[in-house]
Amino acid sequence: MRWNGLNSRFFWIGIPVLLVFVILFAYSSLNLKMIDLGYRQQELVQMEKRLIEEIDRLKAEKAQLLNLDRVERIAVGELHYQYPQAGQLIRFQVPSDENQ
Amino acid sequence: MRTNKGNRRRISFLAMSLALWGLVVCLQLFKVQVMEYTVYAGKIKAQTMRVMDLHSKRGTIYDRNGDILAISVKAKSAFISNKEIALSQAVFRRAGTVLSLSHSQQIKIARRIARGEKFIWLKRKLEDSEYRKLAALTGSGTENDILNFVDEYRRVYPQKRTASHVLGGVGIDEQPLGGVELSMDEDVRGQGGKIRAMIDARKKIFHIKYITEPIQGKGLYLTIDSSLQFIVEKELHRGMAEYNAKSGSVIVLDSSDGSVLAMANYPDFSPEEMASASQANMKNRAISFLYDPGSTFKIILGAAALENSVCRPQQVFSCFDGVYHVRDRTITDVHPFEQLSFEEIIVQSSNIGAARIGERIGRSRFFAAISAFGFGRRSGILLPGEESGILNPEKDWNDVSLAFISHGYEITVTPLQMALAFNVYAAGGYRYEPAIIDRVDRIAQPRTRPRRILRPQTLQQMNPILIQVVEKGTGKKARIPGLAVAGKTGTAQKYQDGRYSSDHISSFGGFFPVPEPRLTIFVVIDSPSDLYYGGDVAAPIFRSIAEKIMGRYQIFPESLPDGRIEL
Repeated sequence: MRWNGLNSRFFWIGIPVLLVFVILFAYSSLNLKMIDLGYRQQELVQMEKRLIEEIDRLKAEKAQLLNLDRVERIAVGELHYQYPQAGQLIRFQVPSDENQ
Repeated sequence: MRTNKGNRRRISFLAMSLALWGLVVCLQLFKVQVMEYTVYAGKIKAQTMRVMDLHSKRGTIYDRNGDILAISVKAKSAFISNKEIALSQAVFRRAGTVLSLSHSQQIKIARRIARGEKFIWLKRKLEDSEYRKLAALTGSGTENDILNFVDEYRRVYPQKRTASHVLGGVGIDEQPLGGVELSMDEDVRGQGGKIRAMIDARKKIFHIKYITEPIQGKGLYLTIDSSLQFIVEKELHRGMAEYNAKSGSVIVLDSSDGSVLAMANYPDFSPEEMASASQANMKNRAISFLYDPGSTFKIILGAAALENSVCRPQQVFSCFDGVYHVRDRTITDVHPFEQLSFEEIIVQSSNIGAARIGERIGRSRFFAAISAFGFGRRSGILLPGEESGILNPEKDWNDVSLAFISHGYEITVTPLQMALAFNVYAAGGYRYEPAIIDRVDRIAQPRTRPRRILRPQTLQQMNPILIQVVEKGTGKKARIPGLAVAGKTGTAQKYQDGRYSSDHISSFGGFFPVPEPRLTIFVVIDSPSDLYYGGDVAAPIFRSIAEKIMGRYQIFPESLPDGRIEL
């Protein structure tokens, strides 16, 4: 009987306390998880922004490399290409039957 | 039993102490959580929440083919948090070894540090290499606190000086300073945003909420063809050097709709250094240079005469052997002629002949024709600083006005107005409004409907005359073998300091290939040395531009020059 009483008291007090702890643990775990996800989301947002900026930077760099003044400088100055002389133009007339 | 009693007393005391402690904690919690809730909630918010401004990014500017003309990229700006003067001075000395700062800038920063100012810009919008070197300097914790960086946007113009007057530029805070950067700022600048960020003890953001989302500026697609613009600028610069001229402009229009394919000016500037460029270099002369058009204006005279049927192309006019008196004024011809037909007056560019035709047209009809071509008012191109030119109201014309306006004096125009006038002939008699913006993002810019101002009969009569100008008249140096080019030369004395000076304005306008023109080009050169006739200065520049760009637009000579092999 004595043991039964103790068991019954443990049941009615212990279980709710345990439940409270479980709930508190779950709640805090979820909160911690949310905070962690917040950090990860923020990192991904920042990474996306960085990548967008990187794309724009690369686009600018590509456009700078294709700058016609630079291309001409390399073509004429380094590769020694020459501009065609006035009238130095040949027209290719492709016969229509060859075109098919 | 005694022990039990004592224990029970102790347990009761402990329980009461715990209860009291619990009560104190609860009261304290009540005080903090309920009574002083707003105070502590405010403190938490202040510690963990930040409202931050997000700067908008300016939109990218493209040419008609999608090539980038202006783009904003992230750049670091360095500043000194001047907490300790001695430390700041040490950091500045080290930073000075990797940064390219002028002597005056160095002195300025050193003085500000010595004065104890708390926030001092070291250099804004660093190049990547500069940032890497500077960031490498910030090794120790102390320097980390002194030398700081902030993200900003830097406007990059990959084509450097190409189309500088069309693009304009921005200042250090991305504020527009000229060109389409200024005229289209509302679309290009975008809209700044605001976020509410939650930060932890290490000042790391772990949650953000947008109060207002930043909106990036819209992408702007110009009608400019950057390859063509490059060629035009190159040829203009070559011409300026060859004729040792003060300034010059070239405009290339798409004949079919009046879109500006190229707009070049000399002198020019670098858009990335617009804030320090001189006013004279920044002036977009193509839309703001006012000058007397001289003989190029005879295309307006010819149109007015034929539209009003006051004469036929073969009708002969007396040209008084090169000297003609109108009241107290004298009009002369370079080459004296006894008489010339209407056609020959245009081809040989006779001023006296033009004055005689003008007199036959009469004031009202001539004024109406000039107005119909759009002179005396802005064209409405979306570029800042456009001039309207000066066309006196008809009632203010004096006895000699008609004769002088007939050969391009007593009226001032802009190069763009003249280019548009030539384009009326090229576009089958329709006057198109000029366009410089093709579309904003994917939305095409609305265009006004073209207005027909010349009848087909007038074009049938005038176009062969304008071809003759190039084939055997004053514009022979604009001739391209095998290609039908129509055009007109112009030479006018420059009006400055209240009188006509010995300096000249040389111009040439033309379009090709006739009869279905696709490109209209107008060249104007201010104060060339030695040679100054439009046919000697502007016409060769026209030809060299036309020869280099015709292939790009699949325009080929109808017949090949002698000695060429057709395959």
